[in-house]
Amino acid sequence: MYDSIILRTIARLMLPLLLLLSLFMVVRGHNLPGGGFIGGLLAAAAVILQIVAFGPERARELIPINYLRLAAWGVAFAAGWGLLGLLAGQPFMTAFWLPTPIPGIGKIGTPVLFDVGVYLTVTGVTSQLALVLAEEPQLYPMRQPGHKRKPVAPDA
Amino acid sequence: MLVAIVLIIFAAAPLGLLARSAPRPAMGWALAIVPLAAFIACWSAIPTITAGGQVVNALPWVPAMGLELRLALDGLSILFVLLVSGIGTLIVLYTGYYMAGDPSVGRFYMALFIFMGAMLGLVLAENILTLFVFWELTSISSYLLVGHKHEYAEVRRGAQMGLLITVGGGMAMLLGLVLLGSVVGSYSISAIIAAADTLQASPLYGPALLLICLGCFTKSAQFPFHFWLPNAMQAPTPASAFLHSATMVKAGVFLLARLHPALSGTPLWATTLSVVGMLTMLVGAVVALRKDDIKGLLAYSTVSMLGTMVLLAGIGGPDAPAALASIILAHALYKGALFMLAGVVDHEAGTRKLSELGGLRRVMPRTFVLTAIAALSMAGFPPLFGFVAKEELLYAATDSALPPWLGLTALAVVVLSSTLGVLAAWRLVGGIFFGPLGSGVKPKAHEAPLGMLVGPGVLALLSVALPFGLLPALSGLLQPTVQAIAGAGTKIELYLIPSSVGLPLILSVVILGVGILLARFTGRIAALPSPLPRWLNGDTLYDGAISALLGGATSLTRLLQNGRMRSYMLWSLLALVAAVLPPLALYGLGGLPPPTLAGVAPYELVIPLLIPVGVLATLTARSRLGAIIAVGIVGAIISLLFVIYSAPDLALTQLLIEVIATVFFLLVFALLPSAFERLSPRSTRVRDGLVATLVGLTMAGVTYAAASSTAFPSISALFKAEALSVGKGANVVNVIIVDFRGFDTMGEITVLFIVLLGIYAMLRLRPMTDSTLAEAPRSEFVSTDFTD
Repeated sequence: MYDSIILRTIARLMLPLLLLLSLFMVVRGHNLPGGGFIGGLLAAAAVILQIVAFGPERARELIPINYLRLAAWGVAFAAGWGLLGLLAGQPFMTAFWLPTPIPGIGKIGTPVLFDVGVYLTVTGVTSQLALVLAEEPQLYPMRQPGHKRKPVAPDA
Repeated sequence: MLVAIVLIIFAAAPLGLLARSAPRPAMGWALAIVPLAAFIACWSAIPTITAGGQVVNALPWVPAMGLELRLALDGLSILFVLLVSGIGTLIVLYTGYYMAGDPSVGRFYMALFIFMGAMLGLVLAENILTLFVFWELTSISSYLLVGHKHEYAEVRRGAQMGLLITVGGGMAMLLGLVLLGSVVGSYSISAIIAAADTLQASPLYGPALLLICLGCFTKSAQFPFHFWLPNAMQAPTPASAFLHSATMVKAGVFLLARLHPALSGTPLWATTLSVVGMLTMLVGAVVALRKDDIKGLLAYSTVSMLGTMVLLAGIGGPDAPAALASIILAHALYKGALFMLAGVVDHEAGTRKLSELGGLRRVMPRTFVLTAIAALSMAGFPPLFGFVAKEELLYAATDSALPPWLGLTALAVVVLSSTLGVLAAWRLVGGIFFGPLGSGVKPKAHEAPLGMLVGPGVLALLSVALPFGLLPALSGLLQPTVQAIAGAGTKIELYLIPSSVGLPLILSVVILGVGILLARFTGRIAALPSPLPRWLNGDTLYDGAISALLGGATSLTRLLQNGRMRSYMLWSLLALVAAVLPPLALYGLGGLPPPTLAGVAPYELVIPLLIPVGVLATLTARSRLGAIIAVGIVGAIISLLFVIYSAPDLALTQLLIEVIATVFFLLVFALLPSAFERLSPRSTRVRDGLVATLVGLTMAGVTYAAASSTAFPSISALFKAEALSVGKGANVVNVIIVDFRGFDTMGEITVLFIVLLGIYAMLRLRPMTDSTLAEAPRSEFVSTDFTD
């Protein structure tokens, strides 16, 4: 983490903006550039920005989500909409659409909801990976009991 | 009905787990109802079968592969079904007494019922793939049965040996069955039998036959695979009695009989089966005389009888099917009884060693009488059923379809092994029940409870009862069996008193006479030194093979999984090149148009040329931070290319990935020294450079071939046309990702999640020292049992 007031201020401002942007990307993804993958990466970028600016512990406090579970639920959510086809006696992942578009969001169908599952999975996986790496105890030897000051990689 | 029988047996498997901590014998009585019901149900089908009919049940399973659960009760299967369920009933009952008070009995019953269900499925299967599935299930469940007392290393070794050998043979057999199916065009047994002529004319007949034989020989403990059977005697005695009298080891013989109409009649069939059968008979009969353990003696005598059955399946001739059917029945009756009685002796006297047993006839009179009856039947004394079957065997051996020299050898081997069988029977009875009281007998040895003797008693008494008045009925019952083995014209007429004095009767008398004369020398024969060198022994060879396998696996693992990132990369990339480069060079690049620059704007040419700049900067960077930034240049230019060629989705994704990857690199590289050290020798760096170049060229070639190939029409037009109408989205890329190729995406996010689990486990579940444990992040920390 960097103790930089500029970075921290910007990170604080960017958190809601990036999360909103990620949702926006998912919603518009079916018709314009965007989609679950891009949205998920953007949401993860929001989390990573907090990790870089405030450290992993503060990042977890800011968005208190278990990302491992989020990723698991994402996979289940995506697969669940595929199961709808099986229930209807058709092949797995057959698409179903609501007859009329919902104002402000657009047409809603199982592929769009599947994309939401992709969004949740990518967000969960990428954020959790960043947190796991950032929480490596060896990254912060100064916080270990009995630590003696050792040269730390300057570009960390 | 048949499907229901098999499923009910499987469903009854967990019932044993209801046992209390010290189960009583009553449990055996209760559980025996299940196989008894199966026995009665199949018994009721006898009139249909003897009238020439069949009972067929089918349940669709994998229709696309022509795989259905099709069970058929015909002449051959009814004999085995009755044996499996009948002897199974007695074994379940006997187990209740044998394992009374043993808390692990529930687990044992579970494996026993699974095994019984698998065995019934095996003999009822009308489809060779179904048969194979049940075949393997018997191997697995018998592994559980043999390894029941898994606390002992010897038990584990015996169970593993049986599993590896039978499953190994099963793999060869699967190959043979698939060959068979591919020649015939169907996996149905009736279709295969109907296509016997095409099959035998096919060039694949020989390989298919030999592969199937390999499966049958390993399962039925034929020489040189026989050694697993005596080692499987580590099983609790009820399991041995079941596996080695009527079921497991007979499966190979059953399959040979089942495929007899389709495969037999060729010199290859006759020679293979009779030579292997004869070797097995001799090895089993000779070693049985040397074994001190009574279960070992019975095991080798079983090996010898299995050899006899394989010989009978191979020799051909008018009497062979009748002999095969009656030997199968006779052996199941007396060997089932003898195994259970061996368990009774072990249970009550406390030892199974012949050298420590003796003089028990007054202590255990009922056991003595039953053992004597079963052993006399084994030796082939009239008027027991063993005699009737042996007469059939001798008839078949004197009237075989083998070439004369082989036929005479077969007859000699039958006579010799039968004589040795008489000696083995005497060793058993004399060694346990006559002479002075054995040194190893428990002081308070007494007769077993009556209920424990029900199982062996029924089987032993059947050996007596069958020859008296029941033989015509039995002949009628076995008539469809022999016809299922060898065709409609085959007959079976069992008799106790032969109508005329012929060679078989004379040989029978000679066998018994010589056997009785030599009986007093059994002790000395057992003490003779082994004629074979120590290393030439299935057990030794098996152990050698296993340790060689483990050693090879260890050194391979050391080579491939040495914990160095660089060597993992090296192997993975080399494998990629080896798999992709040859076909690409041979087929992929030929016929493609040469690269052309027509229609490429100058700025489109300049931008890609920046990529090598980024690569060179990465390679020459002094510090890690510099290398990370240089790698970022490459990614940024690639996303610029995506922008130029109007792929905004890809450009966005690439850019985001670049950013996140840079953060990940920084996090990981924080643990490494900031500047690069030159530690590897020059040769290693040159090697890595060559591999990298090779991989780069391969990937460039693949990309070029994929982009410019005209072998297949492009699918993008279809996607563009249907994205809005069918996919209901204007963004073609996204419609492909979530709809047209949604299944791929499903796989990708699953892989992504599994990668996360892998990294999470690697970083969080590793052994930690106390200090790191204390300071590890508290949230989501998973505690472990590992310590350094």
